[in-house]
Amino acid sequence: MINDESDEEQQQYTSRTPGEVIGREVDFVAGKGTYSWHHKVVASVVGLQHIIPPSPDAADQRPTVEVRRQEEQGAVPEPGVVVTAKIRKVQPRMAVADVLCVGTRAVRENFRGIVRQQDVRSTEIDKVDMHTSFRSGDIIRAEVLSLGDARAYYLSTAKNELGVVSATSDAGVAMVPINWQEMQCPVTLQKEFRKVAKVC
Amino acid sequence: MDVESSVPGAVSPFVNRIMAPGDVVLDLTKASNVLRLGSGLRQDGDNIAMTKVGRLQFKKPNKYWVEGSQKRYIPNTEDVVLGIVVDRRFEMFVVDIGGPTYASLPMLAFEGATRRNTPNLQVGAALYARVVKAHRDIDPELCCTDASGKAAGFGPLNGGYILECSTGLARVLLSKPTSPVLEALGKSLSFEIAVGMNGRVWVNAATTATTILVSNAILNSEFLTAAQQHIMVQKLLQKSQ
Repeated sequence: MINDESDEEQQQYTSRTPGEVIGREVDFVAGKGTYSWHHKVVASVVGLQHIIPPSPDAADQRPTVEVRRQEEQGAVPEPGVVVTAKIRKVQPRMAVADVLCVGTRAVRENFRGIVRQQDVRSTEIDKVDMHTSFRSGDIIRAEVLSLGDARAYYLSTAKNELGVVSATSDAGVAMVPINWQEMQCPVTLQKEFRKVAKVC
Repeated sequence: MDVESSVPGAVSPFVNRIMAPGDVVLDLTKASNVLRLGSGLRQDGDNIAMTKVGRLQFKKPNKYWVEGSQKRYIPNTEDVVLGIVVDRRFEMFVVDIGGPTYASLPMLAFEGATRRNTPNLQVGAALYARVVKAHRDIDPELCCTDASGKAAGFGPLNGGYILECSTGLARVLLSKPTSPVLEALGKSLSFEIAVGMNGRVWVNAATTATTILVSNAILNSEFLTAAQQHIMVQKLLQKSQ
């Protein structure tokens, strides 16, 4: 196989599985996708082994071995991370949303999130009216509270910078936020209630 | 189309006429004051267009709405409706009001209801309620009290018979002055009815024969004039003697 790419590409790739011993720790530096154990370098993921030669002026002249997956793993929501989600359904005690992005990365598969009534805002949480906080189709910024149950992550918008960032009015026009509770349609001038995110 | 406005004070020339969805009935640039649009109308840029089939209504100085008749009921806030309980969930009843989705009725939305003392409604029970929350994106929410918390005629309906009619007929039965058919029936028979804007009428009378007579009279009356309704009721009463 002839490639005209860098030196490291001109090698036959061996596939490695987790637990497979690649070599001795005296010969290789354990890179991404590997770990060192009992003075050996062991693969920790399924992938192809890449050996990266050391830079000529480095003190440690051992090549680095990495095991790289076939494709980059998609983004996955983790507790504490701010996600961007689209509201699918608003029910009396919760809103169901589809997570679109985790941080700045778009997700590759379908993740469901739920914003419960008590997690919409931080004040007067038992008087929250879901219908005046979110509507179907709104784009929200929310924080992942926990992995939730088998069906959905638990999300929270109970901070100033979390909530609805983009919504369309009943007339189908993108609305402009007025304050943390209201957005206004620029065409009909009708105000609608939302839990608005304070985006600086 | 140049049609003179037949109603003084109305900007739209189509008041009291039957229009179809999509028809533009009003040009906002010609309106000088703030207009209030009721159900069946939608703003589209500078035009107001119909979204339902029906007669365009106008009330001075600035209210427009559409009155039409359909078999399918679309919930609106503050409508009184007749519902049938289909399920009991945590702290609420699921009620069928004949709309696109079932409605929810909180267990505390009854007069004198507390967490310890909740109404004991079974699946299949009929009740008279008003719509508190209705929007195209959510399931409607009902309440069995008026705004001040009193029962005011709302709540479970015992016995009786429920018949289904169009929303237009239900509105006529609820209007004031009393509709001719109810007036004619009330002169000779004693019965009670509850009419829901969702096209359902509950009739309760001492005998089955009376219930059937009242139900048939109501259903027959939809397209008859007042005089015809009186004659129809008289004929039914004679037949039943």
